[in-house]
Amino acid sequence: MAQAAKIQESIEDLEKKQEWWWIAEKKRSKRLDYLRKAVWKKGAIGGNYAPGVKVDLEIPVLFTQMYNWWKFDPPMLRRAKANAHILDNMTIFITDHAQLVGYVGTTPNTLLWRIDGASMVNEELYNEPGVMPEPEQASLKKVADLNAAWAGQTAVDKVARILDPEDAVKFLSGAIGWGAPTSAYGYSGKDYEFLFAQRNGFLDIIEKIDEAIEKAEDRTMGAPGPDILPLYERLQNWDAMKMILEASIRYANRYARLARIIAENYETDPTRKEELIRLAETCEHVPAHAPRSLQESLQYDHFVQVLARIEALEGAWPARPDYYHWPMYHKDVNVEKNITREEALDLVGEFMIRAYEVGGFGPRWAREGLQGITGTWVWTLGGVNKDGTDACNDLTVAFLQAARMVRVANPTFAFRWHPKVADDVMREVFECIRHGLGYPSIRNDPVLIQNAMHWHGHPLEEARTWVHQACMSPCPTTKHGVQPMRMASATANCAKMVEYALHNGYDFVVQMQMGPKTGDAAKFKDFEEFFAAWVKQMEWLTNTLVRTVNLGRYKDPEFFGRPFLSATYERAVESGLDAVSPVGERGNCWITGFTWVENADSLAAVKKLVFDDKKYTMAELLDALRTNWEGREDMRLDFVKAPKWGNDDDYVDDIMLRCLREVARHSREIQCPCGNTWPLLPENVSGNIHYSSIVGALPNGRRLGDALYDGGISPGPGLDKKGPTAVLKSCGKIDHVGDGRAFLLNQRLSPTQLAGEKGYQLWKAYIKTWADLGLDHVQFNMVSDETLRAAQRDPEKYQEVIVRVAGYSAHFVDISRKTQDNIIQRTIQGI
Amino acid sequence: MKYKESKNFFPYPENPQRGDYVERVVDPRQAYYKVKPVNAEDEIPESASEFQK
Repeated sequence: MAQAAKIQESIEDLEKKQEWWWIAEKKRSKRLDYLRKAVWKKGAIGGNYAPGVKVDLEIPVLFTQMYNWWKFDPPMLRRAKANAHILDNMTIFITDHAQLVGYVGTTPNTLLWRIDGASMVNEELYNEPGVMPEPEQASLKKVADLNAAWAGQTAVDKVARILDPEDAVKFLSGAIGWGAPTSAYGYSGKDYEFLFAQRNGFLDIIEKIDEAIEKAEDRTMGAPGPDILPLYERLQNWDAMKMILEASIRYANRYARLARIIAENYETDPTRKEELIRLAETCEHVPAHAPRSLQESLQYDHFVQVLARIEALEGAWPARPDYYHWPMYHKDVNVEKNITREEALDLVGEFMIRAYEVGGFGPRWAREGLQGITGTWVWTLGGVNKDGTDACNDLTVAFLQAARMVRVANPTFAFRWHPKVADDVMREVFECIRHGLGYPSIRNDPVLIQNAMHWHGHPLEEARTWVHQACMSPCPTTKHGVQPMRMASATANCAKMVEYALHNGYDFVVQMQMGPKTGDAAKFKDFEEFFAAWVKQMEWLTNTLVRTVNLGRYKDPEFFGRPFLSATYERAVESGLDAVSPVGERGNCWITGFTWVENADSLAAVKKLVFDDKKYTMAELLDALRTNWEGREDMRLDFVKAPKWGNDDDYVDDIMLRCLREVARHSREIQCPCGNTWPLLPENVSGNIHYSSIVGALPNGRRLGDALYDGGISPGPGLDKKGPTAVLKSCGKIDHVGDGRAFLLNQRLSPTQLAGEKGYQLWKAYIKTWADLGLDHVQFNMVSDETLRAAQRDPEKYQEVIVRVAGYSAHFVDISRKTQDNIIQRTIQGI
Repeated sequence: MKYKESKNFFPYPENPQRGDYVERVVDPRQAYYKVKPVNAEDEIPESASEFQK
């Protein structure tokens, strides 16, 4: 009793100091505390992996053995056999106290390495310090042998060979965008409607595949005709899907067997023995059958995610856990009362931890662009049901509460706000933000449902199922809506649009002619000529990226192949086609626009100081930019002081709208392989730091090397001088349905101002204004400068402080000093 | 020592020549049991940890 009172007193003290991470430690169960601390964090610190984290070599060796053995098989079948070999033979493990199992490596400290993705990544691994398992020399030899076996044979190698050479060189320059045109590094959505809403276990799917095979075989034995011809290839695909589902069931059964072996031979604690038997029963039931309990539901989902990740290095984790696991939560907690709410919270917390520990080896540019995490795993909460009614439930609240206890930086949440969300749910959302998690981000559900229908033609009921495909972009979880490949290389470094318009398409950083020659800017007579050059550069840049990605998508079933993903997609199971095939998908592409606002601010500064006020000539400006403003500090400051986005100033806001509407027009001219549009989605992850040494000096006053803006439609750090309402008003001028796919807005709020009930009411009023203005996104950092500076001085003491970087959160100590400073530099808005 | 001679080897009922070899690992962050399929007649490598709980 005395001890409980002491803990309570201590919690109150910590609340006053807003040291939420220590409160979490005191409030969570012993199991969650153990499991949270047990995680080997895979997100790179700055750009480097943490000590002790090693790349897994067992899986690529197993894969290569079997892949080479079946060299005459068609792509999907060959890959199914090799992946099944992994699932049957890889080392698996069960962590003490765990109730959920499954990992993408053979020990908890390992990173998945997909050997068949890209030779350039494989070569980088060979030279990466610290990640080779001991003994290092033997591991290096193994990696060298594997690299030699795969050189020129990976998915990206194959795409690169058929790309237009000029496109390939420009894309690979790293200047205009990033990513890889293959599903080997894709962001696949999961067909949750097929797996969870329709309650299909893997044996149910196998039954459907058998029916399809029987039907196709009957047809191939019938009267000859052209309709028979594609069936031969599809029959082999169905065999591949069936084979990998059977191997997946065996893989789960291996965990069941291990759990029983531990319970019967090693474990002495009767409670843990019971847990292990329950774990064994769970893995014997799922994924073979549809789940019967919350534990089985979460385990089924986790198996699907892990199995998809063993097949490909997935960069995102589209999910809507409160919606799809609600039926089993409701049954277990509310109806049958099989478990208490606290026990359910333990499972939910562990479900998040199991995702947090997942990590794969990524190249340095990806690690720098996603500092502190290994992928953008944004789980979607809230929103509406297919009939438009409120979908929030007690599991929504449980996830929000569990998040505050486990405080992981990956996954994070995004909350689908709509006018019918109950106040108690909004309070839970706010508590997560107030506790400094940086999540959930808030999404405007009515706007985004309309947006999904506008851009991609998703029917209303399907649009209402949407989840975050990556950080920001909505995608339905339905048969024709689910997206198998996020097409990461259509990520544009947009600041190059204005840079190339200024320099006649020449890139002074990478020193080559990149964009089209749009004329010597020094000879432009008016702003319209300059803007026309910008439009041409924008069109060229987006065309180049989309061409590359479209080709990668089109050829992916041949160059890579996804048997497991296909086996979990209703449309692929029905058709016998690879899930990545564009056939049967409606299309849901978007161009991620990094470094976007720099365009509006730069164009406005040129208009103001060169063409309107005529204070400087274009020739003077070009000279200043090419010499990185050297010796021209007064001039640079004039350009810094020019009108800036985010201050409700029509001078620059109109230019922003003009730019967006040019891109929106062009978005309908370029098409994805499904024939659908490619709208822009401005956001940044930490690309603003990665690109800081790649984007040259700009007319917004930025120097080469300075961090770029933190992205989306967020104003430049410290440049939004007229308060939060002016920011919202500027952003509210954008049509969040017709001008693009979504628009990221970062805001920093004061933790002192938002303390207590008054703070909640202030925040709620802010959200009302945000919604009334029709914005689709906002996310908050609510950690004080004082705490962040203390964390810079004493990182050991502040290991658990989390911040919102851009479309994701990260532990503050895991991001580079430059990114840390960039976050501190963001204006704290008093509301 | 061969796997089949170890208490931590658990043969498959359908094929006793193969089985699971269980190891206990305590790393700097967590403790866990791991398992890998092996041939009963193969020698246990020196790096494997024989344990009893």
